[in-house]
Amino acid sequence: MTDTQPPHPSDTRDAPTTPTQTAWERAHAAPVNWRGRARRRLARRWKLIAGLGIVSTFYVVAVLASFIAPYDASEQSRQQPLAPPTTIRFRDSEGRWQVRPFIYRLRLTDPLARTYSEDTSARFPLKLFPRGHSYKLFGLFQTDRHLFGVAHDLSRRSGAPQNSDATQNATATQSATQSANASPPPPPRVYLLGTDEFGRDRLSRLLMASRFSLAVGPLGTLLAGVLGVFLGCVSGYAGRRVDALLMRAADAMLALPDLVLILAARAAFPLVLPPARAGALLVGIFIAIGWAEMARLARGMVLGLREREFVLAAVSLGLTETRILFRHILPNASRPLVVQLSLMLPAFLLAETALSFLGVGVQEPAASWGNMLVSASNLTLLGQQPLVLLSPAFAIFLFVLGVRLLSDGLRRDGDLRAR
Amino acid sequence: MLKLILSRTLQGVVVLVVVSALTFALLAAAGGDALGELASEGGASEATLRELRRVYGLDEPLAARYARWLVNLARGRMGESFYYHAPVATIIWPRLVRTLALAAAALLLAVSFSLALGALAARRQGSLWDRASELVILLTASTPRIVLALITLAIVARTSWFPIGGAGEETLADFSPLRILPPAVVLALPLVALFLAQAREGLSHALAQDFVQVARAKGLPERTVIVRHALRDALNPLITLFGYAFGSVVSGSVIVETVLGWPGLGALSVNAVRYRDVPLLMGVVMITATAVLAGNLFADILLRLNDPRLRPRRAPARTRRGGSRSLDLPAPGA
Repeated sequence: MTDTQPPHPSDTRDAPTTPTQTAWERAHAAPVNWRGRARRRLARRWKLIAGLGIVSTFYVVAVLASFIAPYDASEQSRQQPLAPPTTIRFRDSEGRWQVRPFIYRLRLTDPLARTYSEDTSARFPLKLFPRGHSYKLFGLFQTDRHLFGVAHDLSRRSGAPQNSDATQNATATQSATQSANASPPPPPRVYLLGTDEFGRDRLSRLLMASRFSLAVGPLGTLLAGVLGVFLGCVSGYAGRRVDALLMRAADAMLALPDLVLILAARAAFPLVLPPARAGALLVGIFIAIGWAEMARLARGMVLGLREREFVLAAVSLGLTETRILFRHILPNASRPLVVQLSLMLPAFLLAETALSFLGVGVQEPAASWGNMLVSASNLTLLGQQPLVLLSPAFAIFLFVLGVRLLSDGLRRDGDLRAR
Repeated sequence: MLKLILSRTLQGVVVLVVVSALTFALLAAAGGDALGELASEGGASEATLRELRRVYGLDEPLAARYARWLVNLARGRMGESFYYHAPVATIIWPRLVRTLALAAAALLLAVSFSLALGALAARRQGSLWDRASELVILLTASTPRIVLALITLAIVARTSWFPIGGAGEETLADFSPLRILPPAVVLALPLVALFLAQAREGLSHALAQDFVQVARAKGLPERTVIVRHALRDALNPLITLFGYAFGSVVSGSVIVETVLGWPGLGALSVNAVRYRDVPLLMGVVMITATAVLAGNLFADILLRLNDPRLRPRRAPARTRRGGSRSLDLPAPGA
């Protein structure tokens, strides 16, 4: 049980050569289909692999968020509220193919209806690793490089690359001479997911929000798990008084639905909080509420394992109770506990999202998946740009799917072993 | 049966008292009341605040306030809402009815869909239905209600099939099927994962047993074998789940009602938090806890009605075949 290393698909341990086979049997046995066997093994744990892949991708992206995000998440460009996602083009307005993908500048044609049109007079190619706002990578290295951005107008820098077209050339050089005198206008911004009401880049906000959302829920789950396991172990091993007290408290916790309990606890604290403190508060609430379920499970496991022979052996060796509890019993209970932990995680992640959505979690201007979804509950906006507005919802869905696959895979893996 | 109901009710009352004491202490200890907000906004003078505290009885010690609240509750009074300026009971009642209607619709949808698909899937392992139901389980289990609710809202915004919002704040909303359908579906879908997994597993387990062989040997049509014989055996864990699902629905209703404009208990609890309306919040918490406990009791009664083995007086105690099979699926998202 404690062996957590999954056998490798190409493992040869179960090759069909058992000592009882004769040489003749071995020679005439059907050839082993190694490839098929490996495929079957892999298929059996595709959930584990897919889940691990999705979850770890999310965390890598969250860690690198400020590098991947092209702009500062709270920087507003008031001239471009609710801009649609920028179209990335390979063909220009005259139908010529370009080597580098480029964008056109967007102009707000009607501020009331918020309609935009593209200004096709100048192409702005996309660029890898441009300079942008500065940030600290991993919280350590000051840098201002980002994954992608927009370069300056090509026609201005290198004279005129498209010499064949005289008329377009004229306008291009004209604008080039104008901008050569004054300071060059900054290139347009690329908004892969458009902008929000304040003209902030939605993609950057989504990325920065993932940091918050992926920290609060999982951290709360982890700490609640640790506390719950500790209390459960104590309750299961220590005996009656403590046991009765703890389990009655757990009963009261479990009598109320999660979200109602969390809301009630949230109401006891000031509504408007700075993001860091709101996050800490949510983690605290999750710990205060999440321990009950975990303690129940851990207690049950401990009660079951306490009577086993290896515990008797440990007792007869004269080990202390704490050592027996935490070094002998707990490792044997670890797998169901980990599975339970992975089941609690989506619940708390969603609770954070729900609270932020309802305006009592992480509040503007800080970004969280929940508070980004607020603009999606506006019916008119939702009718206009459903996919873009729901992008945080898709992020939530994908992450929860990853966690589900992971916990499903973990449990199947455990079943396999138990068999 | 009566004994069960009585003892469970008594236990429930104890739990309710613990819950109310915890909530009351938490809300009071943090000094969170509507007057605190008023004071921090600078909208009231010190004298006014003191006067208001006296009127609402907030100047007494905590234990005295709790005792008074408890006595009032026993008399059927839950105090007056700070925000709505009306007795808590009159505010909660119509919303409770709406939420219960919504929950009933959602549970009905989820159970009937799960049983139908589960019966189709359990007939043959690895069949198309079986695989389809596995996909349905995975998808419904990992689609949070907040996502579902917003997608539904997008659909509602695009089409004009469903009336939305506008359900009267003070009158009983009309429970027309079209109005209740979108929120009910959103509430039901995450439950499908829970019920379907259990139905599929329970039914395929039941179909492999001897009494099903007997039923088949009698020449009963397959439909009767499944519906009358196998289903009855598979129903027990489903009924136990029902109690759990009720809590999940109440949790989910907070988001669903807010997004899809169904003015029920969930939406009310959000408002109570937003306005830090302590009496209202206490009322909502108590009603919710009562509803969940009642749901669990209801599930237990159903369980005994379905399974004669669980009734104490008849047949001698016998261990149930299959025992308590562990649930295959996690809690659906809130």
